[in-house]
Amino acid sequence: MNSNQKPEMTEHQKQQLQFQLFQESLPKVNEIVYRMLLNETIPMAVSVQNRLSDNSDTQGTLGQELEEKLVLDPLKGHVPSHKLLQQYLASESDQQAKIDNRLNQIGFSLGQKLSQLLIFSNNPSLSFRDMDLLAVMKFVCRDVWRQVFGKQIDNLKTNHRGTFYLLDNNYKPVESLALDDDKSLEEKALIDPYLQFPCGVIRGVLDSLGFKEEGAVICTATLVDNAESSKSKSPISSRAVIFNVQVAVEN
Amino acid sequence: MSASTNSVPNSSTGSKKSLKAFSDDIWKNKTAKINAELFTLTYGSIVSQLCTDYERDFVKVNNQLFLMGYNIGMRLIEDFLARTALPRCESLAKTSEVVSKCAFKIFLNVTPQVGNWSSSQDAFSLFLDENPLSDFVELPMDAAKELWYSNILCGVLKGALEMVQMDCDVFFTSDVLKGDQTTELRVKLNRVLKDEIPAGED
Amino acid sequence: MAIQTILVINKSGGLVYQRDFVPNAPRLSSNEYLILAGTLQGIVAIASQITPKSLQLDGKSSARGGSEPMGNNSAPLVPYMGTLGATTANGAPLGSFLGPDYFNDAFASWNGRGLKHVTTDQNSLFVYHTLTGIKFVAVSTQPTTNAMAVAVAENLLRKTYCLYADYVMKNPFYEPEMPIKCELFDQHLGTLVKQL
Repeated sequence: MNSNQKPEMTEHQKQQLQFQLFQESLPKVNEIVYRMLLNETIPMAVSVQNRLSDNSDTQGTLGQELEEKLVLDPLKGHVPSHKLLQQYLASESDQQAKIDNRLNQIGFSLGQKLSQLLIFSNNPSLSFRDMDLLAVMKFVCRDVWRQVFGKQIDNLKTNHRGTFYLLDNNYKPVESLALDDDKSLEEKALIDPYLQFPCGVIRGVLDSLGFKEEGAVICTATLVDNAESSKSKSPISSRAVIFNVQVAVEN
Repeated sequence: MSASTNSVPNSSTGSKKSLKAFSDDIWKNKTAKINAELFTLTYGSIVSQLCTDYERDFVKVNNQLFLMGYNIGMRLIEDFLARTALPRCESLAKTSEVVSKCAFKIFLNVTPQVGNWSSSQDAFSLFLDENPLSDFVELPMDAAKELWYSNILCGVLKGALEMVQMDCDVFFTSDVLKGDQTTELRVKLNRVLKDEIPAGED
Repeated sequence: MAIQTILVINKSGGLVYQRDFVPNAPRLSSNEYLILAGTLQGIVAIASQITPKSLQLDGKSSARGGSEPMGNNSAPLVPYMGTLGATTANGAPLGSFLGPDYFNDAFASWNGRGLKHVTTDQNSLFVYHTLTGIKFVAVSTQPTTNAMAVAVAENLLRKTYCLYADYVMKNPFYEPEMPIKCELFDQHLGTLVKQL
């Protein structure tokens, strides 16, 4: 069977295989480190916000002194990350918005660079002759997601007028978060900052592929109760996230 | 100066294998991996966002990166210990070896050189020939003077060592990004937190 | 031998996790568990104190910088036990520990001189320390002094530690030293114990 099939491998499959080998040959780092880095950006963004708002009160010489202290004792003002997350919950909504925006920006600038990275690596499943919006979104669902989160988007829906629903049945970064089945509103609010990064990535990728205008792309994400987790046999409940992308199209 | 690192026997890795082979095995066969370029780009996005937020006040950026690393290190150490089950190091020399050959290998797939021991054997340097955080990075002129781009590593080491009761200072002394010949990360042991060592080990 | 209870004790002797696996076995009240945890912490310390000096001396090297006088020779090796894999029955890895089984070597026990296991007429209790001071405790339903059973228990507890590293420490909301309320940790621990 196998020997018969081998020569029949299409050009496309060959390219796919080659691409896969190429991907595997690239330098690698441990996935855990990456996940921890990503998840730590949220408390970090809160910490930045705290410091920025502190700073506006103590301008001038006081700020100078603080700076010198920071050099001498780098742990000055250290706050453990779970405390920072609690502070996020306690802060005003405009502060939260600033923190969210910061995370979104990190995702955005990654997304911008990421599409270059993926396009230059000769992916055979990409063709740029007719890169319409749908093709771009497929690129996001398949290649971008696989690169960043190790899996593809599970479901893509569109109304063909610029609105897309991307369903990720098990969004990796919130995988290790402890969430009770009866999630309180508070806990749900804590998920928000974790969803900013991927929204930023989507915006960034679209931006680099030509959807540049300010406000042309609106991306929001919500956590949903996963309907499929009850159906599937696996006891591990997954966390499904829906990304709602709206692109303003002229024609 | 850089003697004594290789003279430590490798017999206590939990098996007869050398520490290097032990780490290689974990890296090759038992680790989920992601593209290093993605890692580099993501870290780059974080640093550049920090630079914008702090209006290019690089002292603050350095500090923020350090704190971020510290929070990661405190948690990452448990992962490291669970994976390797390495016993406590009987000397700083051994610690340096575990950090370079095992921790850096498993997590970042690089093996920094250990060297530049202080005369009292309480401080050493890690020379990062390769640094997955800063591949393809070029610092802008204003940042080159003050920014320690990979400062997060210092924080991670600080946090991780503290959890195994070693109070250390960890800092960069040179970085190729700043035009230096080498990237040198200094680890200086202040004291062992004896009180906190779990009973039954002393 | 079945596992009746698993406990996690933090470095200052506080009980942070407790779970029973045998549904209708006699159980302690939560207060009694807290006392048990505190007592164990004390016993562990005492056990290390009463270990004869002659045993402690070996391997005491120039410990500048390091803190463990336990030489390479005195670190007892726990043999690898293949019966409980780091994967679930259908082959999916438990957590981020890849490979058919993450461990296939003997590993050094960190429990140099302290308490390793306690046996009574009714059951046995096994302790696994980590370098960061956390103690994982398992209580079995039957008494055993069999070296094999001890090794199985220690392997189980080490894998529990792996799950702890995955699902407790990687949960950003978890506050170190505080009680563990992580659904995923519960689930995976359940799977692990069931395979025994």
